[in-house]
Amino acid sequence: MAFQILLSIVLAFIWMILQNSYTALDFIVGYFIGILILFVLRRFLRFDFYFMRVIASVKLLFLFIKELILANIDVIKIVLSPKMNIEPGIVAVPTKLKSEWELTLLGCLISLTPGTLTMDFSDDNKYLYVHAIHVPDRDKMIKQIQNTFEKAILEVTHSNAK
Amino acid sequence: MLHTITRIVTFIILLFSIYLFFAGHNNPGGGFIGGLMTASALLLMYLTFDMTTIKKALPFNFTHIIASGLLIAILTGVTSMLLGYPFLHQFDDYFNLPLFGEVHLATALPFDLGIYLVVVGIALLIILTIGEDDK
Repeated sequence: MAFQILLSIVLAFIWMILQNSYTALDFIVGYFIGILILFVLRRFLRFDFYFMRVIASVKLLFLFIKELILANIDVIKIVLSPKMNIEPGIVAVPTKLKSEWELTLLGCLISLTPGTLTMDFSDDNKYLYVHAIHVPDRDKMIKQIQNTFEKAILEVTHSNAK
Repeated sequence: MLHTITRIVTFIILLFSIYLFFAGHNNPGGGFIGGLMTASALLLMYLTFDMTTIKKALPFNFTHIIASGLLIAILTGVTSMLLGYPFLHQFDDYFNLPLFGEVHLATALPFDLGIYLVVVGIALLIILTIGEDDK
């Protein structure tokens, strides 16, 4: 992956030298053309085309913003409702993520969306203990975390682990 | 060693071929030489790696590439006819694109793109047809 980033930067510089004009614009155009060539020859590379990961990261960002807004609305509803008919609970969420970075990212994303809070990891890093303000259905909540954040993180980090 | 260098050099040759393709209006270059350069970069891949690897990396049907190149070239000619100008009449103008500033765009470019595709397709089709005779 680092090799590909380096290659596309080198290609952008070669493009600037060929054009004989050294502006940021030429760099961007050269970078874009390099990305295009890499995209056409993506099956020729030994690992996956790295720009897919950039796209996956942007997707993760937008997913986070969307979840943040939805969860905030949920919390507003709970706070403003006259009855306290909520069921708080602590749920052990099994996770497939391996490295510390991925786990930390998942924990932060869960904590940053209101209503849920990562409390702890199990010792073997297989479970996250998540405190949630309102858990009517345990399995549904586990599914929701796995289908949104975990999947998106896996796309970013494990896109070459085929 | 050959494999490693090919992996890098192919990209540089392809970049140079794209530069030649766009340089054609005011500098030496153009669709023909750009297409040949692209074909030579792909040929380098064919020479370095075995057929099956490259077939997987480049799942293109070169006959279709020739056809689409001819189609693009003809369509640029026919478009000017539809607008009441003679066949292959060239339109050009200066446009103010965002980010790029003033750019001179001409319909010679899609025509050149057609040439480019035909040249790439024909060069590789000839070489690959000669290359594999055991079929």
